[in-house]
Amino acid sequence: MTTKLKATKKSKAKSAKPRSTRAAMSVATSDKETVKARVAAMAEVPLAVCESDKDLQSMLSVLRDQAQPIEVRLAALQSIQAASFSVVAFESCRSDYIATLRKVATDPDLEMRQRVLGILAREKDGFAQRKLLEGLENPEKELVPPEKALQLLSYDIHAEAYPIARKIVNNPPNEEAKREALRLLAADAKSAPVFEKLLRDKNETAEIRQVSAAALQGLKPEKLQESAREILLDDSDYDEIKATSLTALTQFGDKDQVNKDAALKKHVNRISTKGGAKVKRTARQFISKYGR
Amino acid sequence: MNVEVQINNSINPKSQFVSWAPSPCRIRVTNPSGAITPTVTIRLSSTSAATGGAVVFRKGTTGAFSNTLTLTVPIIGTSVPFFVAGKFGRPSSSNADVRIDARFGTLLAGSVKVMVRIRKNANNLTPAERDRLVSAFAQINNQGAGRFADFRDMHTNVTSPQAHGAPGFLPWHRAYLLDLERELQSIDPTVALPYWRFDQASPNIFTLDFFGVSNSVGTVSFSPTNPLQFWRTDGVPGINRRPFFGTNTAPPGLRTEAQTLALGNAYPAFRTLEGNPHGSAHTSFGGFISSIGTAARDPLFFLLHCNVDRLWAKWQRQFGRFDPAVAASFDGAANPIGHNLPDTMWPWNGITTPPRPPTAPGGSLAASPCVSAPGPQPRVSQSLDYQGNVNAVSRLGFDYDDVPFS
Amino acid sequence: MVVEVTETEFASLVSERAADPKRQHELLELLREDNELYDQRGAATTARMRGWVLHNLSLCSLTDEALIFVLEELDTGTDPYLVAAAARALRSYARPTSAFAPFVMRAITHIRYRNEPVSFESYGEYGDGDNVTTPVQELLTTLRWLGANAEPVLSELEQLRAQPDRLPRTLLASIDEAIKAISGKEAVDNDFCCSLPLGLKDRFSWTSNSRRGCEPVESVIFEDHNNELISFGDFFQGQPSIVVFFYTRCDNPLKCSLSITKLARIQESLLERGLADKINTAAITYDPEFDSSERIRGYGQNRSVQLNTRHRMLRACDGIDSVRKHFRLGVNFIESLVNRHRVEVYILDSRGRIASVFERIHWNEQEVVERAIEILHEESEEKSQARNKKNATASTLGTMASLGVAFFPKCPICWAAYLSVFGIAGFDRIPYAPWLQPVLALVMLINLASVWLRSRATHRMLSFCFAAGGAAVIIMSKLSHGGKKFAIWGVLLTLAGSVLSALGTRKKRQLGKETEGDSWFFDLFRRDGFTRTKDQTTKSTA
Repeated sequence: MTTKLKATKKSKAKSAKPRSTRAAMSVATSDKETVKARVAAMAEVPLAVCESDKDLQSMLSVLRDQAQPIEVRLAALQSIQAASFSVVAFESCRSDYIATLRKVATDPDLEMRQRVLGILAREKDGFAQRKLLEGLENPEKELVPPEKALQLLSYDIHAEAYPIARKIVNNPPNEEAKREALRLLAADAKSAPVFEKLLRDKNETAEIRQVSAAALQGLKPEKLQESAREILLDDSDYDEIKATSLTALTQFGDKDQVNKDAALKKHVNRISTKGGAKVKRTARQFISKYGR
Repeated sequence: MNVEVQINNSINPKSQFVSWAPSPCRIRVTNPSGAITPTVTIRLSSTSAATGGAVVFRKGTTGAFSNTLTLTVPIIGTSVPFFVAGKFGRPSSSNADVRIDARFGTLLAGSVKVMVRIRKNANNLTPAERDRLVSAFAQINNQGAGRFADFRDMHTNVTSPQAHGAPGFLPWHRAYLLDLERELQSIDPTVALPYWRFDQASPNIFTLDFFGVSNSVGTVSFSPTNPLQFWRTDGVPGINRRPFFGTNTAPPGLRTEAQTLALGNAYPAFRTLEGNPHGSAHTSFGGFISSIGTAARDPLFFLLHCNVDRLWAKWQRQFGRFDPAVAASFDGAANPIGHNLPDTMWPWNGITTPPRPPTAPGGSLAASPCVSAPGPQPRVSQSLDYQGNVNAVSRLGFDYDDVPFS
Repeated sequence: MVVEVTETEFASLVSERAADPKRQHELLELLREDNELYDQRGAATTARMRGWVLHNLSLCSLTDEALIFVLEELDTGTDPYLVAAAARALRSYARPTSAFAPFVMRAITHIRYRNEPVSFESYGEYGDGDNVTTPVQELLTTLRWLGANAEPVLSELEQLRAQPDRLPRTLLASIDEAIKAISGKEAVDNDFCCSLPLGLKDRFSWTSNSRRGCEPVESVIFEDHNNELISFGDFFQGQPSIVVFFYTRCDNPLKCSLSITKLARIQESLLERGLADKINTAAITYDPEFDSSERIRGYGQNRSVQLNTRHRMLRACDGIDSVRKHFRLGVNFIESLVNRHRVEVYILDSRGRIASVFERIHWNEQEVVERAIEILHEESEEKSQARNKKNATASTLGTMASLGVAFFPKCPICWAAYLSVFGIAGFDRIPYAPWLQPVLALVMLINLASVWLRSRATHRMLSFCFAAGGAAVIIMSKLSHGGKKFAIWGVLLTLAGSVLSALGTRKKRQLGKETEGDSWFFDLFRRDGFTRTKDQTTKSTA
């Protein structure tokens, strides 16, 4: 018992004292350590890469090395990425980091590709955009699923993804892709009529209609207000979209217009007691703002 | 007999908010009827709503707090100062849920309702607190056309050297959060920024009614009742966030609170938290929050940084590091501009000549009806004494639920 | 208009132009943002294409005309590939000058935290390994090329060198080399050592003539930051204006955000000088479909722009294409989004015509204000001169009219007087008509009589003296031999007498009402007690 207690004390003492960066770095880059140990060590060393070129190159080397366990490689990526937040300190590392990311963008591992292309896409990197567009145009070249590619392309509204996004909206490989394509098109003011149409289409899924409402709110708020009103007055429409419509009117509605709309207020008053839970909740918020 | 109680030395209802740090208050007789002596004895006490906050009093700038306070107040109308603070551990959950009563004998001579407004663990907010917060966020975003655009523009690749990788990291983000919080409070004064305790499981944050649920692609979904469904930044609706961990658990690999506080008792060692847990928390996700240039597009960013700031506050409390004059409180080495104690901080200083960024969006730091600090163009040094421990006027008007005022 | 040219074709086209000395100048057209080849390209694609053009320019000798595009990229560029290409292109310019140094240093400041590998091995390559360079590397090499001409930025460079922990180790050597090059050599002593080439020195130019024939835009309707509608003509005609173009989704803070921030400073300057009511300012969005009134208002307010009737943020309700063509805006689009634009600010005169343009290189607020004030003063001067001219003309015309009125015979007697003057003087030119002489003598007498009566009425006998003297001289000239040459003096005296008589106004008399300008004719009747007012003639009962 005493031995056990002593051991427990010892291990607690051991875990309480953080190891040095050098020690952690050594574990992180050593093939002899377990995956778990290496991943834990990687988490301790983000800023080390900023301080030592050798450490930076070691970590980048692990990241590039397809022979390394994927968990370790992803941990290396995460660690360097964490260091990149220390922009001033990371200045010396950035160029090599970007070069490595571009190399790894075509990695055999899907998770690695997604993360790396995500990082590059958020930097509005032309290399990543080109790869993603190629994949959308030609599925044989796709590095990530189309919905992911569209999502990553939406990081840069100046990318030339609009034509392909429209194609996908009209002929989606899956529902997720359609939704991401719509999110991307929401940056294009000329797409407002598309969103208006989708919002009013009861055959569309709730998610598609919700995305359309959000897109229309940003592009043509007066059109959303009109559509929201009609949706609310339509007893045959779904609770989900009614709740979205009420939220839009409560948060962003034209106060004067809504206050004058007696028919709408009367209807909302009615559904505040008769509708589903979400409708009731949002109706109450509406009434709280505009009155009965 | 009537008295007027001023919280934060103001009768403005917007100033009726207190935190753990004592707020300067005043009381004066406005109607002396019934008084037969030049002064009257007024007894202050408080009444809390159920699950409401609680306050304590003290007469001067030092000494113990108590649940009641007796004051001698001249009937000619001269104000008598005193202090009110939230009772540690008893924050408010809604507006005006604490009533301060001033009694003249048994007669209620005056009262005022206050809120003990505290930054809380986001995972523990009530539904009402949560709804008020998301509504305020949605309003300040205003589907991309609102004031939030400035906050987004303050945190980009171009501007990031002002706030990262050097000692000013913590002060800058403290000012950034404060500015946003005050803007949110101008929309709804009951709102305080909560923190995401990233070293603990926080399943209540990642829900449809709060900060959303991510799908496999990393697009966040919201309930149709959640106004964040209309969130828009950089012209694109929605939020990209893909957690690399189950949201019923904490992200792996992050330093715990204890480990973070143990980084060292001097600031240069402590601020290595910028790497882990701060950077590691950011990169526990894919999506906006995981890259410095896009991180501020995700409102979760502010909860993440609120926790980073809370860790700093806790470290300050643990080691007594509020005074900029104490060397260990900061890193006094020659640092880049914006990272030294006397430096003003961009963008609030409006300076746009190199090495500062070319524009300064958003103007000066928002004012508060409760406190005067730090002023429109804060200096790095003004971020340290956030509770007014060294100088009461330095109080910034916020507190964390688990970091007391001593 | 979308031109279907693949990027590969574009690259070949560029390389061909670059290789042909006679066609190298065509590369400049490819650097114009509004070139149709960039229409419907994404921003990253546009950057690749432009960067390739700049790279090819670096293989030739950079001309003065191309220099502006290179300096522009160094001044406001944030794309690593473009900045690197511009740095290389600058080194192909024949004459390093110290005026380039601030541009290069500024580019280092902007790009250092976005330093990444780039490659010019072939079109469209992105650096990921060997044979790469970086924009900071290229900029440092350019500083080395500038040598002593970069002396103005030496201290900044030394400060950079003093931060060894932050810079890539590989760059430290480059910085050292640059510092050595700057410190070691003597500056080249030539006429161009400190100044930009002439074409760039005056970064604004008169364009009023060059825009003749542009699509008129007076009727284009704008919506302002308060949802108020106003036409181009209504806002921009009447006084000079300073116009900036922008859009709210610009992701280069060195362009639109900075331009609008500077517009706010321009407004302050105008206010300080008391000119805020005399010079309008406007910011027009490239992206009117997305940039609603609310958006542009917020964008301006967040950058301290003052907004009122003379200072507006505008979006074109329709006619944005006309506006583009009118100003020849340096912008192009992918869908409705801008893919690239230049920095541009215009000064319009009070007729709404473009009078000055500042483009590409970021403009100095005070220069713009000074230019606008010059235009304001020049217009004031013109107006003043026009007014003076008008007045002079009016007064000349007035005088001539007065003289004309004076000379115009107002009655048969006047006719007779004129006839007597010209008839007697020119008597000997008329074919013999014996009956004419006494007739003309009689007419002269009648003239004298009429002048006398007029003199009496105006109490000014001078006119009669002239007329009498003139008549006397005419008669004497006729009677004396050799006196004919004096006849002209007689004519002139008679004429003078008539003019004086005609111009003399009767003294105003208070007769109940003003009787200004009454004909002398009525004076003849005054003794009869008649009085005349402007509107009536009544017999006085006085």
